[in-house]
Amino acid sequence: MNTVHVNTIRDRGAAALRRLSRSTAMTLLCVVLIGYLALGVASSGSFFEGPSVRTFLRYLATPVLIGLAQMAALCVGQLNLAVGALGGFTACLMGVLMADQGVPAGVAVAAGVLTATAIGLATGLFIVVTRINGFIVTLGTMTILQGAQYGLTGTRTVDGYSAALGDFGRAAPLNVPLVFLTALAAAALLAAFLYRTTAGRRLLAAGGNPLAARLSGISTDRQIVLAHTLSGLLIGVAALTATASLPGVNRSVGGDWLLPSFAAPIIGGVALTGGSVAVLGTVLAAFVMRLIDAARAQFSLDPSWVNFLIGVVVLGTVVGGRIHQSHLARRGGSRGGAPPAPPPAPPPVPPRSDARPAAVSPHPGGSG
Amino acid sequence: MTAPVIPPGGDTRAAPSRPAHRLPFWVNQRLGLLVLVVGLSALFGAVQPTFLDARLVLFPLVRDVSALTVVALAQMVVLSVGHMNLAVGRMAAFGALFAGLGYDRLGLPLPLGLLLCLCAGAAIGALTGWIITRTGVSSFVVTLAMDFALLGLVSLLYSALTENAAFTTKPSGLAELRSYSLADICVGPVCGSPAIPQLAQFTVLSLLGLGFLYGATRIGRELLLTGANPAAAELSGIPTGRRVVLAHTLSGLLAALAGFMAAVGTGTFRASIGDDFMLPSFLGSVLGGTLLTGGVVSVVGALLGTALVGVIRKGLDLLGVGLESLNIYLGCVLLLALSADRVRTVVSHRKVVRST
Repeated sequence: MNTVHVNTIRDRGAAALRRLSRSTAMTLLCVVLIGYLALGVASSGSFFEGPSVRTFLRYLATPVLIGLAQMAALCVGQLNLAVGALGGFTACLMGVLMADQGVPAGVAVAAGVLTATAIGLATGLFIVVTRINGFIVTLGTMTILQGAQYGLTGTRTVDGYSAALGDFGRAAPLNVPLVFLTALAAAALLAAFLYRTTAGRRLLAAGGNPLAARLSGISTDRQIVLAHTLSGLLIGVAALTATASLPGVNRSVGGDWLLPSFAAPIIGGVALTGGSVAVLGTVLAAFVMRLIDAARAQFSLDPSWVNFLIGVVVLGTVVGGRIHQSHLARRGGSRGGAPPAPPPAPPPVPPRSDARPAAVSPHPGGSG
Repeated sequence: MTAPVIPPGGDTRAAPSRPAHRLPFWVNQRLGLLVLVVGLSALFGAVQPTFLDARLVLFPLVRDVSALTVVALAQMVVLSVGHMNLAVGRMAAFGALFAGLGYDRLGLPLPLGLLLCLCAGAAIGALTGWIITRTGVSSFVVTLAMDFALLGLVSLLYSALTENAAFTTKPSGLAELRSYSLADICVGPVCGSPAIPQLAQFTVLSLLGLGFLYGATRIGRELLLTGANPAAAELSGIPTGRRVVLAHTLSGLLAALAGFMAAVGTGTFRASIGDDFMLPSFLGSVLGGTLLTGGVVSVVGALLGTALVGVIRKGLDLLGVGLESLNIYLGCVLLLALSADRVRTVVSHRKVVRST
């Protein structure tokens, strides 16, 4: 019984991997490779040299980590709007601890990461206890943390903190920066946790179908708390890489993290409704966004192009994915039009029990 | 003007099986908000008498609240069909861009520029709604992507069309619209209050319009039903796709109106208009009692929620609370208000259950 169960899970995991490699991740990988080559050619080779590669990868670490942090919340169907605020607050906390209080780098970093994790835990607990929509709760914590970040640093820029952390940010054996390796290690650990451990599976089960998960003895409340804690932990690590690679921290750190944190998982193929994750896809999507940024710098265009292009890429990804899906469905011949978009929040209790969506038969009207 | 599909009251779960009058009156969120707004204003006025200064404090306060109420209404309209609009701020900037363009390049008079601004907002909203219904992708993702795209596009257009990234041409009537209050309108010897800016007329118009739409029209009911249960709405013959597009169009229109009001308030048409609209849009509508899941809206609640936030912000500011702590207090107020609401509905639900 047990082995059968494990086998089905493994088969399903393998099938999911196969599907992934056939669609999103593979496409993204091709885009990354072609884009990188094109940039290299356009810069007549200087883009492949050591310093360029180092810079490219160093500033990739934080986008990868915040994308993963958002993904951790998304996998149980929650949205974390506090990604940027928490990251900025943690980075400033580390900076202030080191620069003003003279705390050694190791202790400050540990304190920062622990604080971020604890705030994630508190957010999760608050959501579960009060049953308020996670979107609103994280909107509230975002506001509070932005205020706290401003309270920590004011208008100054905290710099000149620990040399050891600066060295960590600059160190790049074989032109691969340590901060980037940190991000990759975090991604690998997260993937192992989600795909290989029971706790990770529970997380996905609770996100995919909360009712079924509850009926099979999984506490969805505990999974929501766990997801937010995990998200907080990853944001703590992102704050570490940001503090290490930036020349100084001020109140603007984290201000522009929110949109990329959603863009990476969405381009990477994570469903907003929960239950599906794509660690590789998220990492590759962060790569694509960094490529757009690098191309912008290469051709010295207005920075606004980056946001515009990312918006177009996200729209193109979701629309393309939907067209692909409806194409598959039409080939299967089982579906009518695409149903209207469900709200990202957990479905409301239907006001009248006799009008359950379960009674809906395939209808020809539809909207697609 | 509250217009839920189900009988009014805080708790939607208690409503279907039990008559609404069983719920105690204090569950009414709007009443609580009104008491809070009035009480807090009185408290701030007693502690700091300058708070009640009509020209210097109340006038800008009401002007800000007017603009942000329209933002909250823009969010409320999409929430009513169970969607979200993360691009409210950017749609506001997009609309304001067209108004500024009209004044600067085309030399339009004030009302025509406003019309152009509203058309641009409605068009971008309709496009968003159309993408959502055609693809069936969650509104969160589509409006997020729209936010990105407009963020870039608006800045690009400003830097392409202007020299210092702002339209500064002021058509005649703009300065008056900005600084005139009801005190400047006199009917015989009776003049209005100097605390109410003329800009508030747009807010009153949108409040009345939306109140009429949700309270008295068939289309308003259909919007709410689409939000409450899309499948049931579809089966009842409601063109849910068209209603979703309508909701997003209205949202874009209101966002553009808010952008215009913000631009008039500051005097220039810049790309940074609407940067800080997202939080107030959710604060106002959700504090007012609009459900994130769709199907329940409160038009007056959006005004009261926004007013509460505005009063707290201004009051704390006058009491000398620094800018940094202001956000902390606002976040705490949001969480506390919603927790209190939750406690209230749970308690009232229990009472109702016990009494039956």
